Formats: sequence, C-alpha cells, structure tokens
Amino acid sequence: MARIELRATSKTWDDVVAVEPTDLVIGDGEFVAILGPSGCGKSTTLFMLAGLYAPSGGDILFDGAAVNEVEARDRNVGIVFQSYALYPHMTVRDNILFPLRFKDVPREEALKRANAAADLVQVREYMERKPSQLSGGQQQRVALARALVKEPQLLLLDEPLSNLDASLRLTMRSEIRNLQRKLGVTTVLVTHDQIEATTMADRIICMSRGRIEQVGTAEDLYHRPDSLFVASFIGSPPINLLQANAAGGQLAVGDGRLPLDGRADGKVTLGVRPESVVLGEGSLQGRIDDLEPHGRETIYHLTTPLGGVRALEAGAVARHKLGDTLPFRFADSLVFSTDSGRRIDGARAIAA
Amino acid sequence: MDASPTTLAAPAQREYWDRLAAKGRSRRRATTAFLYAVLVLGSLPIVVPYLWLFTVSVSGRTGATTVVLWRTLAILLPALLAWSILRVTIADAKRLMRLELALGVVTLIAIAVITGPYLHAQNWRFLWNKNIADDLKGASGVGGTYPSVWSAFANSLILAVVQMMLVVTVATLAGYYLSRFDFRGRAGYLRGLLILHAFPAMTLIIPIFLLMHWIGLLDTLTGVILVIVALELPFAIFVMKGFFDAVPWDIEMSALTDGATRRQAFFLVVLPQVKVGLIAVGVFAFLRGWEEYVFVRTLLFEKANWTMSLYLYWMYEDVMGTDYALVSAIGVFYVLPSVILYTACQKYLTQMTVGGIKG
Ligand SMILES: Nc1ncnc2c1ncn2[C@@H]1O[C@H](COP(=O)(O)OP(=O)(O)O)[C@@H](O)[C@H]1O
Ligand SMILES: [Mg+2]
Repeated sequence: MARIELRATSKTWDDVVAVEPTDLVIGDGEFVAILGPSGCGKSTTLFMLAGLYAPSGGDILFDGAAVNEVEARDRNVGIVFQSYALYPHMTVRDNILFPLRFKDVPREEALKRANAAADLVQVREYMERKPSQLSGGQQQRVALARALVKEPQLLLLDEPLSNLDASLRLTMRSEIRNLQRKLGVTTVLVTHDQIEATTMADRIICMSRGRIEQVGTAEDLYHRPDSLFVASFIGSPPINLLQANAAGGQLAVGDGRLPLDGRADGKVTLGVRPESVVLGEGSLQGRIDDLEPHGRETIYHLTTPLGGVRALEAGAVARHKLGDTLPFRFADSLVFSTDSGRRIDGARAIAA
Repeated sequence: MDASPTTLAAPAQREYWDRLAAKGRSRRRATTAFLYAVLVLGSLPIVVPYLWLFTVSVSGRTGATTVVLWRTLAILLPALLAWSILRVTIADAKRLMRLELALGVVTLIAIAVITGPYLHAQNWRFLWNKNIADDLKGASGVGGTYPSVWSAFANSLILAVVQMMLVVTVATLAGYYLSRFDFRGRAGYLRGLLILHAFPAMTLIIPIFLLMHWIGLLDTLTGVILVIVALELPFAIFVMKGFFDAVPWDIEMSALTDGATRRQAFFLVVLPQVKVGLIAVGVFAFLRGWEEYVFVRTLLFEKANWTMSLYLYWMYEDVMGTDYALVSAIGVFYVLPSVILYTACQKYLTQMTVGGIKG
C-alpha cells in the first residue's frame, strides 16, 4: 500500500493543457474519487499515476519517493480501464495470470493466486471462456481480478461502472467498495457520476478543465461547495442559480428582494438547493408550471418574480397541482461572487 | 372485441395469418432461387475454362478431343441444378446436409464412370522426364536442355516465400509505427504510400533493369525478390496500419501496467489481434510472388534461375503446337499451390477490408 503525492504535477500536449499544475495527497489505504465532467483531465491524471503518461512538469511521489522516472511496469499499479481492456485472444484464466508472467512467480503459486483473485470477484466458473463470451459485468470482474492479482500498492479505476446497466452498477458499486475495505489498497476511482463518487469514496476530488476545484467529503462538496462549478456539478436535481445584486444588506433578485446575512457586495449568484425551497408557506409567491413525479418525491418547476425555481418535495403523492399559485420560502442558501465564481463564506439570503 | 374474441375470431384470423405466411415463404424462395440462378450462370464463364484446363491435363492426347469436358459438364450442370433446388426447398439443416452429401457422392461416381476410360497421367510426365521438350521437338527455341520442372518449382517457391516473409515483417513493423506514433510528415507519408501503389510498376521496368545491372543483382533471385518486395510494400503497410488502428490502445497500456515491456506488449497482446491481417497480407504477397512474370522475364536469363512462370512460357512456346495437353498439365501444376493456399486461408481473407476487420 502506498501514500501517493502529486507536487505541481501537470500534463500538456502541444498547446492543449490537460492537467494544470496540481497538488494532492492521497493517504495510505484511502479510497478517493476524481469527479468531473468528460474531458476535464481525470484519465490523464490517472495515467500519470500509472506511469503510462510522463508528467510535463512536477513530481509524483509514492511513499515519499519520486517515481517520475519509474516505468509503468515497475510501479506495481493495478488498473481497470473504462473498456476493461481484457486481452481478447486469451481465456479468463490467462488474462488473470498475465501480470504474474512478468514476476518470478512459480506456475503453481501463480495458478493459486489467479484462482484466489477469481474467487474474490466470483468469476471462477468462467475461467476457460474468452472475454467475448462474458457479459459486461463479468468482464468488469475479470478486469478487477487481473488488476488485483499482482497485489498492487495502488489500484486505479477509470470509469469502471459506466458501461454497466443500472442495477448491475448498484451491485458493483458496493462490491468494489467492500473489496477495497477488505484489501485496504490505496484506490483512485475516476468517474463523471457524482453518485458513484459520493457513495464509494472516502474523499472526492472535484476537477474541472484540468484544475482541482475542491477536495473534500461528499458532505463538504454538497453543503459547502467552494465554487459555482462544484455547487452546480454536485446535486440532483441541480441547484437553483439566480443572478442577483447585493447592496445595503439586501439582495435584488429579478423583481424580488431578499434580506441578506453576511457581507457581500455587487454582482452575486444566489444558489438554492431544490430541497431548501419550502412550498406552502413564506413571503414569496410562485406558480407551478410543470411537475415531475419521481415516486418518492416530486419536482416542481415554479415561475416566480425571482426567476425560474426548481423545488423538491418528499412524499409519494404530489401535494400541489399544475397551475397552482402558492407561497414559498428558502430555508437555506449559498451566495457566490458572480465574477470569481467563489463562494462568499458566511453570506446567506433566507426569505422568511 | 370483449367477451370471447379469441374463440370467435380464431378461424378467420388464422386463415389470414396463414395466407401471409405462405406469401412470405414463396417470396423468400423466389429470391433464393433467383440468387442461385445468377450465381451459377455468372460463374460458368469462370469455371468452364479451368475445368477445360483440368480435364485436358488428365485426359488429352496429342490432338485429343474435349470429350471429357462435355461429359463432365453434362453431369455437373444437372447436379448443380438439383443442388440449387435442394437449397431452396429444404429448410431443415441436418436433412439438407445429408442430401447434399448424397448428391455429391452420386455426382462424383457418375463423372468417374463416364469419363474413367479416358483418363491417364501421360501429360504429367514432365514431372519426372526432364528432357521432355527435347524428346518432343529435338533441340529447340531455348537451345537444348530444359531445366527440371522441380528446379523451376523450387525457384518460384523461394521467390514467393522469401518475398512474403520480407513483406509481412516490414509491413507489420511499419504499419505498427504508423498507427501508433506521431511524427512530422506522417500524413504526407501515408498519402505517399497510396500514390506509390497507384503507379503501374511496368513504367519502372527500364530504370529497375539498369539499377539491377549497376548493383550486380541482375539475373539473381535476390534482385527479383527485392524489386517485388519494394513494389508490394506500400499497400501492405497501408493494410497493416488499418489493422493496427483497430486495436485499442487500452489493451496495450494494460499490458504495460501488468509488467510487460513495450516489445512484450507488442508480441503478446497486439500482434495476436492482427492475425487476420498478417495472414491476408502474407497470402497475397505469396500469390503475387508465385504468379510473378514480368520481372522474372526481364531480370532473369539463366535457365537455372527460371521460375514456374518462365518454365510454362517456354514450354508453351516450344511444344504448344505438338502437345497442348502437356502444356495444360503444366498449367494445372502451376496453379495448384495457389488454389491450395487460397482455399486454406479463405476463411481469413474474407474477413479483410482495407480498414481492418469487418464486423
Ligand atoms: N493523447 C492525447 N493527445 C492529445 N490530447 C489529449 C490526449 N489525451 C487526452 N487529451 C486531452 O486532454 C484533455 C483531458 O482528457 P482526459 O484526461 O481523457 O479527460 P477525462 O476527464 O474525460 O478522462 C482532453 O481535452 C483531451 O482532449
Ligand atoms: Mg476518461
């Protein structure tokens, strides 16, 4: 197991900056997720950790020692690719055995370890098959077994669940999580799916356009997002963002006014989570233009003097009808500087 | 449609669907029958000349008739018709195979019986009689003794095999490099490959002759091999690049993290994915070398260096008028390796397109 450190690590291709200089520490045995939209540099970061891409600048340290010059084959890193990257011409057994070919493991012992790895992910019964004869979920497990058989000090998972169907994704999510706990291997999961990141990882690294936006627990990212990007990327349905002007302890939003706590001035963006919009009480008025029943909850689209607002109400039965005009209030909110996109700490606008 | 619609509507509906099913069935049969007719008629002009060549080689005598050809066709055509009818009418795969087998056996026996008396191996005597042309005509066009057919056969084999191995090796390495590595002028290089392929090689024949003369490879197999390799390579490289393009980067990177060196990753993981490409390029290169005529005719003079195509040519020049059955037999002997190789590898060849592996 290893403690991983990035020091001003960056990657550029000609004029494309894939990853800007980045600092990051991943603790020994920790499970972190790199979360961000497609093309933000997640895979590039992962491949630099694996030694497949050489960083354009900065250092990568394993347990305090720089490994920039260490080849991929010597890093003892297990990786599961988005496509699984199983070797199509080999049986499942040969796929799992492949990493052991390059270590001085006697045949007997290698077979034993391959079987153990296969048992771990429950693919023992498919050992004689070719990858093309397996379902997506089974291929995924084989890829995991192949990554784990060499007992890596670092496990890298590149969008491992994105090619699975919904129910299988749910199963694999908890299986991978449990496996990681059992083995205690330092793990980096790359995903664009916030649910995957929040449910599986101890800590989430939120990336955007080659930069780390925020590092923290799921709770940090949800309740205390550092930036507009994080606030809007995390949460489903997404947060309401309303353009506003702060002056003299008041917030002018659209045609409405809200009292403002804390210090903020000039152009700001007010962020309100849909579940913080309380319907049926308060001083604001809105009309329901659309509603989406989701079973456990209902999402309402309101037209208000402040602008369009999404509200989420728990409960199996919708309590309001299309076209209803009703009062509402904000139970909580976040205030961001519109120019810098940063959150203004301590600022809050609550409509009573 | 409430109460009991099933019992009420059933007979009428069943009749309706049965009618539609019958219509679908007959249309499918008509299409299949039409396809077989077109295929059989279309392939006749190709098949008949080869059949002629073959039947003459095993039955013709000096000035002999083509009776075996007509008799064979008289059996073969009705058999083909019967086979087409079987394919169109019988749906059950097992029964179809049994019937096809029976038809095949009956056809072969019938052909054997009615042509048997005419068959003989006389025309194949060139295989063991080295002086066959001289026996027929005395010292003739090429001046005295012919080389043994086996010497020509060996030369052709060396030419084809060595040339094939060179083409496959160089095309594989170059194709891999072009597919995986970016370097300045890569796009231009690729375009150049295609343009080179578009040039008719014939236009180069005089410069190549002079070149061979200057570097001292005139009248050597090595020289011819190098020339054909050079002409074959552009297209072979292009094809191999297409195959390598179809191999995902992921499995290569996966091999590297699994502990393989780049070379091990190439041989253990990438190369097996382009097996079809290797076979296809290899077979076509072999056939090209085996059938080569223009350059061997221009660059080889010594009789010891003759390839099969030259042997056939000179035999044709010398004895065609006296014994065309002999020339036919040599022709069959010459195409046999191509046919065998092609049949053995056709499973792979049909999977090949320029872009890589077809779905
Ligand atoms: N081999 C490459 N050559 C040039 N640009 C690349 C290469 N790989 C990735 N990029 C660019 O780097 C950026 C980040 O890519 P990537 O790390 O794959 O994103 P993702 O977060 O979706 O995994 C993208 O803009 C991509 O176009
Ligand atoms: Mg990616």
